[in-house]
Amino acid sequence: MELLLARLFDGVSSGATYAVIAVALVLIYKATTLINFAQGELCMIGSFIAYAFAVDVGLPVIPAVILAMVMTALLAAGIERTLIRPFDPSNHLPLVIITLGLLLLINSVAGMIWGYDPRRFPGVFPDGTVFEWGVARLRWYTVGTLITTIVLLVLLSLLLNRTKVGLAFRAVSSNLESAALSGVPIGRTLQFGWALAAAVGTIAGVLFVSDPFRQIEPTFAARVLIFASAAAVLGGLDSLWGALVGGLVIGMVESMLIGYLTFIPSQMGLASAVGVLIIVLLIRPNGLFGSRRVERV
Amino acid sequence: MVQASRQHRIYQTLGWLLLALVVLLLPFWVISTQSIQIGGNTFTLSLGNVMHSLSYVVAVLGLGLLVGFNGQLSLGNSFFIGVGAYISATLVVDNGWGFLRSLIVVLPVTFALGVLFGIPALRIRGLYLALVTLGLAAVFPAIVRLEGLSERTGGANGKRIPDGFAAPEGVPLQEFRQGLSNIPGIGEQFFADGRLGTRAADEVWTYFVLILLTAIAIWMVKNLIHSRPGRAIIAVRDNETGAAVNGVNLPMTKTLTFGYSAALGGLAGTMYAMAIGFVAPDVFGVNLAIFLIVGLVVGGLGTLSGAVIGGFVIVFVPVWTSQVKELPGVSERVLSGPTATAVLGILLIVLTFVMPGGIVYGLRRLRARLITIVPRGMSPAAAAAAGPAAVPVDEAAAVAMMDRHSGHASSDLQPETETGSVSVTTKQGSADGN
Amino acid sequence: MTAPTKTKTGAPLEVSALHAAYGPVQVLHGIEFRVDEGEAVVILGANGSGKTTTLRAICRMVSTSGSVSVYGTSLAGKKTEAVTKLGVAHVPQGRGTFADLSVDDNMRLGAFVRRDKDVQKDIDGWYEVFPILGSRRAQPAGQLSGGEQQMLAISRALMGNPRVLLLDEPSLGLAPLIVKDLFERLKQVKLDRGTTMLVVEQNANLALAMADRGYVLEAGLIAISGTAEDLRTNEAVRRAYLGY
Repeated sequence: MELLLARLFDGVSSGATYAVIAVALVLIYKATTLINFAQGELCMIGSFIAYAFAVDVGLPVIPAVILAMVMTALLAAGIERTLIRPFDPSNHLPLVIITLGLLLLINSVAGMIWGYDPRRFPGVFPDGTVFEWGVARLRWYTVGTLITTIVLLVLLSLLLNRTKVGLAFRAVSSNLESAALSGVPIGRTLQFGWALAAAVGTIAGVLFVSDPFRQIEPTFAARVLIFASAAAVLGGLDSLWGALVGGLVIGMVESMLIGYLTFIPSQMGLASAVGVLIIVLLIRPNGLFGSRRVERV
Repeated sequence: MVQASRQHRIYQTLGWLLLALVVLLLPFWVISTQSIQIGGNTFTLSLGNVMHSLSYVVAVLGLGLLVGFNGQLSLGNSFFIGVGAYISATLVVDNGWGFLRSLIVVLPVTFALGVLFGIPALRIRGLYLALVTLGLAAVFPAIVRLEGLSERTGGANGKRIPDGFAAPEGVPLQEFRQGLSNIPGIGEQFFADGRLGTRAADEVWTYFVLILLTAIAIWMVKNLIHSRPGRAIIAVRDNETGAAVNGVNLPMTKTLTFGYSAALGGLAGTMYAMAIGFVAPDVFGVNLAIFLIVGLVVGGLGTLSGAVIGGFVIVFVPVWTSQVKELPGVSERVLSGPTATAVLGILLIVLTFVMPGGIVYGLRRLRARLITIVPRGMSPAAAAAAGPAAVPVDEAAAVAMMDRHSGHASSDLQPETETGSVSVTTKQGSADGN
Repeated sequence: MTAPTKTKTGAPLEVSALHAAYGPVQVLHGIEFRVDEGEAVVILGANGSGKTTTLRAICRMVSTSGSVSVYGTSLAGKKTEAVTKLGVAHVPQGRGTFADLSVDDNMRLGAFVRRDKDVQKDIDGWYEVFPILGSRRAQPAGQLSGGEQQMLAISRALMGNPRVLLLDEPSLGLAPLIVKDLFERLKQVKLDRGTTMLVVEQNANLALAMADRGYVLEAGLIAISGTAEDLRTNEAVRRAYLGY
C-alpha cells in the first residue's frame, strides 16, 4: 500500500510535467494540425534560459522563468514567421522536416552554450515533503507541479474561450478558410499559437528539471518529447484537458510498470510510453477526448 | 545534345567508365592521402569514413523507398539498422560467422520486423506514423542496454568486432597498388610508395565488398521501382484512393514496402558493422534517425542517386565539421561543441527552402538544359523546338511533396507535362539513379 | 473616378479581365462584370463553369490575374482577411461553418472585424429572426441541420455589417421548402439593409425571382448577361437552367 502510494506520487509528478509539454504540443496542433517535433527542444532551451537568468545573472527563480518564457515566445514567433509561414500549411512533409531541422539545430546550440554536463536547477518549489507514510512521500515538488499544471490549464482555457485572440485561435484551428473570410488575421494568429506554445513549453521544461532528483542537460528534450507526445495523443491531440489526463496516465504507467514489473529495467520507461502511443493509435486514434485525426503528410 | 543520340551514348558510356575508375582507385588514393589541409584545419579522409558512408547510402536508399516512393513518413529506420548491425556483430563475434553469412539472418529478421511495424502503419499514418517511428528510434538504445540482452549486445559499452573482413589470398591488391604508384608523373603523388600492409589490404578488400553490396542494393531497388509492384508503390504515394480503385492492394503494398525498407536498413546495419568494426547503443538513436532524413532530403526525395549523395553527406559533414578547429569569427568554444549536428540541422532547413527536390533534382534540371529528350516518331528538330527537356513527371510529383505551395506545385511544370510523359515512352526511367 | 479616396467612389464590385487557375487548370478565362449599389446579381452556369471560382477569385482564395475592385479599391495583392475588412462577406459553398465552435462563437466570428459595442445586441437580433439558432446557441454548430447551418452562415456573414454579400449556392443540399424560405429571407435582407448581393446559384428559378440582373457563365466565360427578366425569357437560359 505504501509502495503503491509512492508510485502514485511519482506518477503524478512526472505525469503533470508531461501534461504541460503535451499542452504545448496540443496548442501547435490545434493551430496548424502539425506536430512540432522541436517542441521538446523549445522546452529545453527555455529551461536553460531560465537557468541562466537564475544562476548566472542571479535573479530570483520566478522572474527568471518569466523572462525565459518571454524570450522563448519571441524565438518561437520568429521561427513561425521565417521558417513555417512560407510553407503551404496543408502540406505537412516539408513542415515536419523543418521542425526536425530545428530539433537538431536548437539541441546543438544548447550543447554549444551550456555543454553536456548535468547541472542542478534551482528549486522552484520548497524542498521536503508534505507528509510521509513509510516509503510513500508526497513531496512539495509533486504538489507544486500538479497545482501549477492545473492553474496553467485554467488560465489557458480562459484565454482561449473568453478573449478575442482566443476566439481567433479557435477559429483558425476549426476552419482556416472561414477564419480568413471572417477577417481573422491568419498569420498573426498562428504566430501567437507558436509563441504561446513556447512559453507554456518553458514552464514545462522548468517543472521537469526543477525536480531535485533531476538535472538539466540538453539531451533531456528528446526523451520528454516522446513522453509528451504519447500524452497528447492519448488525450486526443486537440484537447487541453485531455492532455492533462493523458500526461497523468503516461506518468502513472511509467511509474507503475517500472515499480511493479521488476524485470523491466528503468530505461524502458520510454518504451512504455511508445507502447501506450501505439496501442492508443491502433484502438482509439482520436484519443480519449480528441475530435479529429491527422492523416496527411 | 539529343537523348539517345550517338553523341549522348558516348558521353554516357564515358561517364560510367569514369565512375568505375573513381570507385576502383578511390581506396588506394584515400589510404595514401589520409588528410587534406584547408586554412589551418586538417580534414581526414579515411577509408573507414568512406565505408561508413556506403552503409548509410544503403540506409538512405531504404528510407527513400518508404518515404520518397511510398509516401510513408518513417523516422524509425535507425531501429532496423541497429538490429542489423547488432545481429551481425553478435553472430560474427560470438558464433564465428562471416559477415556475409550473417545476412541470412539479418535480412529475414529485419524484413519481418518491418512488415510487423508496417501492419500498424496501415492505421497509424501521416504525422502519427512519424511520431511512433521516432519513438522506436528513441527506444532502440534502451533495448540494447537491457540486462537480459547485454551479454550478447555488450550493453552500454558496445561490442567490438576484433576480426574484420579479411582479404582472401590471391587477390593482387598489393600488386595493383604497386602498379598505380609506378604510373609516371601522378603515381607517386597520389599513391605514395605503393606499399599496402595486411590491415590496409583487408580494409581495401572490405571497401570493395561494400561497394558490391551497395551496387546490388541500388540495382535491386531500381528494378523494384520499375516493376509492376514498384509502380503500385509509387501509385500509393501519389493517390492512395486512386491506386486502390485501380486494383492496387493497399495493405499488401504498404506493409511490403515497410519490409523492403527495413531489410535495406538491416543490410545497412551489417555493412556498418563491417565498416566500423564496433557497434554501440547510442549510434542507432534519434539522431541517426533524423540524420537519415537529412540524407534523404539532401539527395532528393524519390531519386536513387540521391541516396548516394545523402549517405556521404551525413558521414562526411559531421566528420569534417567536427574537425574544424579554426574559423574566423567563430569562437573555439562553439567549434568544440556539437557543430556537426548544427550544420546538418541548418542544411535540412535551408535545403527545404531553396532546393526542395534535393541536389539530384537540381543537377537534373541542369542536365535537362543540355539534353533534349526526343519522343518516338518526332524529329529531333521538332523536339528541340518544343523546348528543353523536363524532369520526368513522376519525379516532379516527389518534388511536389516537398514544395512550399503544394497547391500550385504543378503549375510551374505545366508547359513541361508533355515532354515529361514522353520520357516514360522512351524508357528514360522516371526515377533511375544514373 | 479621379478622386483618390478609398471608398464610395466606384461600384460595390467591379471585375475585369479576371483569370483564375487551380494549378495548371485554367478555370476563368477573363470575365468582366459589375454589381451596382443595392443590386442583387445572380451568376448562373453549369457545374464546372467557374461560378464558385469567380467568388473565390474575388476573395483572393485562388491564384488570379485581372482586376477586382470594391468601391474603387483594388484588391490586387490583398489577403483574404483584408478583403473582408473592406466590407465583403462571403458565404462559401458548404457554408463554412466553424463546426466544433458553438453557435454563439460562430456569430461572434462573423463580427470579428467590428469594433463597436453592439455585437451582442445584433447577435440577439438574429436569434429573434431565427429562434432555432438562439435555442441552440451553446451547441457546436456542426450539430445543426443543413438548413439551420445555412441560416447561421447568412446571419454570421451579416453580423459583420457587410456592404457586399457573396453567396455561393445557398440552396445546396436543402429541402425545397427551406430553399424557398431562404430566398424570401434574402429578399427581405436586401429590402431592409440594401445590402449588395452577388449570388451563385443552380436553382435559377428562385435566384432570378430575387435578383435584379444576372450573368450566365459557360466554360469560364460570360456567355449571356441581362436583367433578371431578360434571362427568364431567354430561350437558351430557359432550356438550360429553368427546365421548361
